[in-house]
Amino acid sequence: MGKRKHNIHRPMSRREMLGVCKGGFGSLAFMSLFGTQMACNRIDKSESLLTQLGQTPHYIPKAKNVIFLYMDGGVSQVDSFDPKPRLAKENGEDPNKKFNVDNTQFGNVGKILKSPWAFKQYGECGMPVSELFPHIASCVDDIALVRSMVSNFPEHTNANYFLHTGSGIQGRPSMGSWINYGLGSENNNLPGFVVLDGGLTPPGGVDNFKSGFLPASYQASILKSGPVPLANINPQESAPYLQDQKLDYIKQLDNSLIGGLGSADAVESAISNYELAYKMQSSIPELTEFSSETKATKKLYGMDSDDPHTRSYGSQCLLARRLIERGVRFVELTCPRVNADRWDQHNNLKDGHERNAHAVDQPIAGLIKDLKSRGLLEETLIVWTGEFGRTPFAQGKDGRDHNPSAFSMWMAGAGIKGGTIYGRTDDYGYRVVENETTVHDMHATMLHLLGINHERLRFRFGGRDIRLTDVHGHIIHDILS
Amino acid sequence: MNKTERRLIVALLIVGSIVTTMFQCKQKDPISGIPDEVDFNFHVRPILVQNCFLCHGPDPSSRKANLRLDTYEGATALLESGYQAINPGHANRSEVIQRVTNTDPELKMPPPESNLKLSEKDIKILKKWIDQGAEWKKHWAFIPPQKEIQDKFEKRDVSQTIDGFISAKLKERRLEKANQASKETLIRRVSYILTGLPPTIKMIDRFMADTSEAAYENMVDHYLQSSGFGERWARHWMDIVRYAETKGHEFDFEISGAWRYRDYLIRAFNDDVPYDQFLKEHIAGDMIDSIRWNKITGINESQIGTAFYTFGEGKHSPVDIKEEEATTIDNILDVTSKAFQGLTVSCAKCHDHKFDPIPTADYYALYGVIESTRFSPMAANFTKEKEENLKTLEKLKKRLKEMSIGDISFKNSSKENDDTTHEYSFLGDFRGSSLDQWKSDGVAFGQTTRMNTPVFSKSGKTIKYFDSGKASSSQYSKGIFGALRSPNFVIDSDFIGVKALGIKSTIRIIVDNFQLIQNPIYGELDKKVSSSKWQEISFNVSAWKGHKAYIEIVPGYFSGSPNHTYKLPKDAYIDVQYAIAFDGDWPQKVDFRTAEIQNDYLNNKQLNTLLRNGKLKNSIPESSHLLSQNEQLAKSLVDSSFFVGVNDGFGVNSPVFIRGSYKEPSEENIPRGFLSAITTHHSFKSPGSGRHELANTMLEDSNPLTSRVMINRIWHHLFGRGIVETVDNFGLQGKLPSHPDLLDYLALKFKEENWSIKKMIKAIVMTETFQRSVEGSEDAQSKDPENLLLSHFPLRRLESEAIRDGLLAAAGNLNQKMFGPPVPVHLTEFMQGRGRPGNSGPLDGEGRRSIYQGVRRNFLQPMMLTFDRPIPFSTFGKRNVTNVPAQSLILMNDPFIIHQAEIMAKDVIDQTKQSRDKKLEYIYLKALSRKPSEEEITKANEFLKQLAQTHGVESSAIDTDLNIWKDFCHSVFNLKEFIYLI
Repeated sequence: MGKRKHNIHRPMSRREMLGVCKGGFGSLAFMSLFGTQMACNRIDKSESLLTQLGQTPHYIPKAKNVIFLYMDGGVSQVDSFDPKPRLAKENGEDPNKKFNVDNTQFGNVGKILKSPWAFKQYGECGMPVSELFPHIASCVDDIALVRSMVSNFPEHTNANYFLHTGSGIQGRPSMGSWINYGLGSENNNLPGFVVLDGGLTPPGGVDNFKSGFLPASYQASILKSGPVPLANINPQESAPYLQDQKLDYIKQLDNSLIGGLGSADAVESAISNYELAYKMQSSIPELTEFSSETKATKKLYGMDSDDPHTRSYGSQCLLARRLIERGVRFVELTCPRVNADRWDQHNNLKDGHERNAHAVDQPIAGLIKDLKSRGLLEETLIVWTGEFGRTPFAQGKDGRDHNPSAFSMWMAGAGIKGGTIYGRTDDYGYRVVENETTVHDMHATMLHLLGINHERLRFRFGGRDIRLTDVHGHIIHDILS
Repeated sequence: MNKTERRLIVALLIVGSIVTTMFQCKQKDPISGIPDEVDFNFHVRPILVQNCFLCHGPDPSSRKANLRLDTYEGATALLESGYQAINPGHANRSEVIQRVTNTDPELKMPPPESNLKLSEKDIKILKKWIDQGAEWKKHWAFIPPQKEIQDKFEKRDVSQTIDGFISAKLKERRLEKANQASKETLIRRVSYILTGLPPTIKMIDRFMADTSEAAYENMVDHYLQSSGFGERWARHWMDIVRYAETKGHEFDFEISGAWRYRDYLIRAFNDDVPYDQFLKEHIAGDMIDSIRWNKITGINESQIGTAFYTFGEGKHSPVDIKEEEATTIDNILDVTSKAFQGLTVSCAKCHDHKFDPIPTADYYALYGVIESTRFSPMAANFTKEKEENLKTLEKLKKRLKEMSIGDISFKNSSKENDDTTHEYSFLGDFRGSSLDQWKSDGVAFGQTTRMNTPVFSKSGKTIKYFDSGKASSSQYSKGIFGALRSPNFVIDSDFIGVKALGIKSTIRIIVDNFQLIQNPIYGELDKKVSSSKWQEISFNVSAWKGHKAYIEIVPGYFSGSPNHTYKLPKDAYIDVQYAIAFDGDWPQKVDFRTAEIQNDYLNNKQLNTLLRNGKLKNSIPESSHLLSQNEQLAKSLVDSSFFVGVNDGFGVNSPVFIRGSYKEPSEENIPRGFLSAITTHHSFKSPGSGRHELANTMLEDSNPLTSRVMINRIWHHLFGRGIVETVDNFGLQGKLPSHPDLLDYLALKFKEENWSIKKMIKAIVMTETFQRSVEGSEDAQSKDPENLLLSHFPLRRLESEAIRDGLLAAAGNLNQKMFGPPVPVHLTEFMQGRGRPGNSGPLDGEGRRSIYQGVRRNFLQPMMLTFDRPIPFSTFGKRNVTNVPAQSLILMNDPFIIHQAEIMAKDVIDQTKQSRDKKLEYIYLKALSRKPSEEEITKANEFLKQLAQTHGVESSAIDTDLNIWKDFCHSVFNLKEFIYLI
C-alpha cells in the first residue's frame, strides 16, 4: 500500500487491487465503495479499517448494527413518555403566568394544554407510557428512556441536520456515514448505510443522509418498499449472463483507459461503483422478497393491519431486520406519510399524533420482539427519537409548537439497560432539570456501543480533525447494561 | 491579566473553537514554507478565522472579553491587564503569542479540549507577521483589483498572460507541465465544455484535416458561435438562480412562464449580452432605461431577467403569512447575494455576520428593497413595436380630446374639502382625472382615468358623451394587460370595498406580498368581477388587521389551485371608481376624496351639458379615420402570453428583525440600500424599491466582487474548479484564490472587454493551460495532488445534462429544436406524491436536450439528480460530483439508455453498409469522438462474436443483427470514457 497508507479512507486503489486479485466480473474481490472490509485474502483481520484508523476498539463492541427510528417532526414528550399531571390541573391557564415562555417558532402561544391521552405503567419496571403507544409499552423492560434530551435548534431543517450530523448546518456527514467510515459494512453486496424511505423526506432533504466531506461512498442508499425497491435494480438483458459478458468487456476497456491516465481515482471509483451496483441487482430484490417470512412474523409487525400506514411501516421494520441480518451497519427508517402531517402537530394534535402513532407503534414493538426472539436484539441497537419535542402549552387552540428544550428519546437492544428512565424535565415537561442530554451525547453513546471511542473517530478536513460529536459528547453510562 | 480574566479567555476560546469547528473551513495557500513577506490575507487571517473569530470577530453579540481580532484597533487595544493581544513589531510582547505557545493547559490557546492546535508553522507565521509590524488588510475580496496588475500586461495577449500566471506558480513549485492533449481529445473537450454536446463526425474530420495554425482557434470559434453554446451556459446559470418551473411544497404549483426565462438565458448567452447588462436585467429589468429589444422578435428581453426572483419555493396556505414573506425574501436575498456578489448575506439575518463584515442592518437594508418589489404577471411578447404603438395611441387620444373639448374654461373652482368625518376611509378615488397615486403597471390602465375622454358613436362621426372619471383597463381596448395597484396600507378595518365593473376580471388584496391566494385560508382575498353594471365588491379582511397590504386590480384572472396561472381573455376588462376601507355595512354615501376630484366630476357634468345643449360641437374632422387608426393600434396591444416577473412597488424600509424574528422588530427602520462594506454611499434615494440603484451599485467601478465573481464562475466551468473554489462564497469562509493575481487580471480584463463572456471564454480556452493533457506527472501528483496549479488538465466527469445529451447525440436521436414550453417530465413509479402531473412525458423527452425537460420541484428527473444536478433551493455555482451505485444502475438498466442503444444500433446497421471495422469506427467516433485502436477493434470483434453466440446468431449475420449491436452500443455507453472528459 506504500505511500497511500496515510489515506485511511481509501487504503487501496483500484489499480493496486487489480494487481493482487484477478478474476471475472462479479468474482473480483474489491474494496467496496461502502467501506466494506477487503475480502481479498491479502488483507487479514489485523488490518481492518479500525486498525488502520489507529482505532482499535476501546470497548468490546456490544452492538454490530443500528436501527434508527426517526420520528420526523418531533413527537410530543408530554403526550408519549413523559407524563405531567400538572398540565391537567392547570389546563387552559396562561403559561406566561407559570414560567418564562421562550419564543416559539410560530409565536402563537396558547394556553397550557393537558395531554389528551392517559398514561399507564407497564412492565416490571413500571415505566409510564401514554395510550398512543400500547404496543411499544409492552416492550418497556427492554427500553432505556431518556427524558432529558435537548436540541440546539427549534426549526426542523437545522434540528434535523443536527440530529443526523451533529451540526445544524447542511453538508456534514450523517451518523450512518460516520459509522460505516469507522467500521465498514459486513456485506459486500449491500451498502452499509441504508435509509428506508417510508414516504416522508424530512425537512432538509436527503442532505440528512449524505456523507458530507467523507467519501461519497459512505452516503446512504435510499430504498423504497414495494416490488422494485430501488430504481433500475433489474437488469434488462434477456439472458442473465449477457449482462456479465457486457460488463466484462466494459471492465477490460475501462482498465486500459486507466492505464493511460495519470491520476484517475475518480474513474477507479466509478469502476468499483459498477461492481457494487452489479451485486446489488441480486441482493436488493432478495431483501424485499418476504415470502420466506411466516404469517406470524408478518402479523407481529402489523402487516395485516387495517391501517395501510401500519402495514407499510411494518414492512419497513421487517426490511430493517433483514438488512441488519445481512450485516448492514446502519438502517434508518423515515416516517410513513399518514393522512396528517409528520409528527409536527402545530394544530390538531390529537388527530395527527394518533395517526402517526398508529402507523409506527405495532411495527416498532414487532421489530423489538422479533429481534429478541431471534437473538438479534443483543447485537442491534435501536434508537427512537424526533429532532426535538413539543411545547406543553398550545399553539393556537389544539396544537403544540416546537420545543428544543426537552424531548424524550429511547434506546433498546445491544448494551442497553432495559427499564431505565434517565433524566427529568420540570413539572410541565418544558425544560430539562436533571441530566441534560445532548444530541452529541446520544451520538457518543451509539458509537460507544459499536466499539468506537467518539473522540477518536475523526476525519481530517480543512486542516482539522472533525468528529461526529464535534468537541462535545458524553456517554450516557446510566442507561448502559 | 488577572487569573479570572485568563480563565475567562480560556473558556471563551474553547467556546470559540467549538463553534469554529461547526463553521469549519478550508483555507490553505498551496505555497508551503514561511514566506519572506507575510501577507495578512493569505497567511494570517486564515489562522485567525479558524481559531479566534467566533468569539473575537465582527459579531458583537458573541464577542468575548471585549476583545476583537478582526480589526487592527481591536487587536492592538490595551487590555485591562495592561497587555496587548497584538503588539505590532513585538511578537514577544503580544499576548496572543504568549497564549498559543503556552504549555499550561489552563492557559494554552486554543485549549487542548478543542481539538484545535496551531501548527509550528502557524505560530511562526503569526510571530513573523507581528514582528513585521502586524499589517492589517481588508479581506482580499473586498479590496478592488489593482490596476497595476493589468497595466503590467496591458500590451500582451490575454491567453499568453494567463499562461504566464499559471507557469509562474508551476515554476515556483518546480512542477512540469503536461503535454498538449491530442487533437481528438481537444475537440471533444472544447465541444463538450462549450456546448455540452460531443463533436459530430463532420467536425472531427474537419478539425483533424485542418493542419493550419489556426485550426484550434477555428474550431473554438465554431463552438462559441454554435447555438449549443447558449444551451450549455444557460444551464450553468440556472443552477445559480435555483431555476424551477414549480413551487414545490405540498402541491407543487406552477411558476407560470418560467421557461421563458430559460429561453431568455439561452438567447442572452448566444448573443453574448454584456454581463453588466445581464446583471441589470436580473436585478431591475422591469425598470431600466437600456431595454434590450430582441432583434428578431422585437420582444422586451430585459424584463424577463426579473423572473429569477420568482423561482423560490412557495407554500400552499401558509399559516403565518408574514413569516412566509420573510422566508421568500430571505431566499431571494440569499440567491441574489450569492449569485452576483459571492456573499452569504443571508447569514446576517439573525445576527451580524460571524465572519464577514455584513451587519444585520445591511441585510434589512436589502430586505426593504425586495419588500418594496411586487410579483406580477408580465406580458411576455411586449415588443418595441407595441411600445411605439402605445406612444402613438397616447398622442391620438390626446389629440381627439383636445379637438373635442377645445379651450373651454370650467366654472368650478377648487374648494377646501369639508371636514366631515366618514365611517370609511379612502384607499383610492378615481372619479377625478388622476389615478390617485396608484401604480399603473403594464399598459392597460394608462396614466390617467377616463375623465373627459370623448366617446364616439359607432360610426365614429359624432361624440356621444365625455366619459366620467374611472380607472379603466380598456383605455385603449379590452384584453390588454396591465395592473392598477394601490400604495401599501395597513389593514385597520373589517372590510375593503371596491366599486367596479368589468368582464372576467379580478380584484385581489395582496397581504404581505402573498401571491398564492386560495382557500382554505386566503380565498377571500381574490374576487372576480363579472358584471357590466357597477358593483360594490367587498372583502372581509378582519383576519388580517395589522398586516401590510395593497389592492391589485387586473383584467383577466388567476386560475387558482393547482395552477395559479394568470389568464387574460380577449374580452376582459375592468373599470373602477374607488376603493375604501370600512367597518360594518357599505357606507350609504361615498363622498369625493378631495375637492379637486369633486371639481373634476362637476367639470365633466358641465362638459356633457354643453355637448347635449349643442354648445359644443359634437363632431370633429377626421374622427372616424383617427378612431379606426386607434382601433388598429390598440389591437396590437392585446396580450395572451405571460410570465411572472416583478414590478416596482412603493418604498418600504424594514426594521431589523431581532434574532431574525419579524415579531421583534427594531424601533428604527433601516433605509433601503446596499452592503456597507462594499460601497460608501449605500443608502438608496429612489421612491420605489431601489432595485435600479442596487444594480448600479453592483456595477460601480469600485465594486470589488461583481467582475471577480463572474469571471471565476467562467473559469470554474472551463476547468471544473474556480480560481476561488468556493464560487458562491468570496467571504472569509470561502477559499482563498489559488492565483489571486490572475483572478484580478481577468476581473479587470473582463470589464475592459465590455463584460463579454464569450471573449473571456475564448481567451481562456486558447491558453496552453486549457489544452494540456489530463495526464499529470508522478511529481505533480505528490506535490499538488489536487492539481490546484493546473500542471495538467483536470479530469472530470460530465454533468448529468451532458451525459444525457451526449447519449442522444451518439444515438443519432438528438432533436435540436430550440426553445419553447418544457417537455413534460417522464414519471416513473418512484415519483409519487401530491401535485403529480396527470400524464407522464415521453421516456426520451422527445429527444430534446436536457435543458428543455420540465423542472418540477417535487418531480425532479431521477437521472439528473443522480448525476448531481442540484436540487433547486439555493444558489449552486458548483455542483457536487458523487459516485454512487445508482449512477451505474441507470447506465446499466434504465430503459431510456437501453432505448437509445437500440436507436444507435439501427443507425449503425442502416448507415454504414461498410465493413465491420468501419461500423466500429463509426460508433467510436460518435460516442467517444475518436477512432478505435487496433487493439480495441480486435477486442470489439471478439466481443461481437461472443454476443452472437449468446444470442444464437450465425457469425455471418452479426453485421445486421439488431440485438448484437444494441448490446454493443449499450456497452459503449457504459464505458467510463463516455462519461468522463479526458
